[in-house]
Amino acid sequence: MERDNLGFDAPAPVDHPVRASLPAGAGTGPAIGERLPDFELPDAFGRQIRFHDDRGNAKAALVFYRSAVW
Amino acid sequence: MRSAHAKFEANGIKLYAVSYDDPKALREFAEAQGITYPLLSDQDSTVIKQYGILNTQVSPDDAFIYGIPYPGVFVCDEDGLVVSKFFHDSYKKRESPEAFIDAALGHIQIEEEVPQTSGGDEGIAITAAVRGGNSSLRQGIIRNLVVRFALKDGLHLYGEPVPTGLTATQVTILGPQDLQSLPTKCPPTTPLYHEIMDINLNVWSDEVTIVVPFYPAGDLATEAVAPATTAASIDFEVRYQACNETECLLPRTERFSIDLPLGVVDIPSL
Repeated sequence: MERDNLGFDAPAPVDHPVRASLPAGAGTGPAIGERLPDFELPDAFGRQIRFHDDRGNAKAALVFYRSAVW
Repeated sequence: MRSAHAKFEANGIKLYAVSYDDPKALREFAEAQGITYPLLSDQDSTVIKQYGILNTQVSPDDAFIYGIPYPGVFVCDEDGLVVSKFFHDSYKKRESPEAFIDAALGHIQIEEEVPQTSGGDEGIAITAAVRGGNSSLRQGIIRNLVVRFALKDGLHLYGEPVPTGLTATQVTILGPQDLQSLPTKCPPTTPLYHEIMDINLNVWSDEVTIVVPFYPAGDLATEAVAPATTAASIDFEVRYQACNETECLLPRTERFSIDLPLGVVDIPSL
């Protein structure tokens, strides 16, 4: 375990790219008020999901995460 | 997120999660964890790149981790427009699912079962609660300290900026030391014209809810060793001054403390 300068402990070395921080001033995708870009991806069961179609008229939370495996 | 999915459904909010994992790995994960919302497979990171959030500090030479995003969450309304987004300078900092529900609904719920306390005086009722997950302290996991003021008719509180002599409403986390605060979130104020001073004051009336997101770092919730205790208490101070059209009450400072469980982590994340 190594502790970074924010006080977080993790098994990977502090300078390993897996622990890379979002650089200050870096972009974080669509801005408030913009429409989320549409896309189509397969889900865990092989179904093709087109985001805005699947959402229909519902509000949604779209989560981008690193990995479900590690 | 898994256990919160029912709360998303109950509020009519759809939940989607995108990663670069292949569908087979996602299927195993979904089945092992009992996840029923869509886990989307962006194997070549097309959508991650389309959204402009590819982690570019990872190079293609970094083998299996290349293609990961800077993790974050977008919340959109019925029309697909972004109403809120959550990105942090460390992948270790993550909102609790309830933060996305509150963002989607534009209202902060204080559920009865969450740890909470109350205070106030003379027509001002204060409810303070810790919202998010099971309110436990876990390294980098953000919970919200929610402070709600219910004001008697005619009373108002001040937001920043205030003229000299008046006290703006302020919520400050005092401890423990390893609890880090993120910037306070306040609703917009309403202008109130003050004739004698000839200025607009920034006020809230009826009800106002102030949120201070916080997370533990350092020794408090380290994943390096098992926690030595099972709980810690968050100490915080609420400062405010209530006035009506003609007179002001004295500024008040109240201190509160709420006990929170320390989370237990089986497998620390990389």
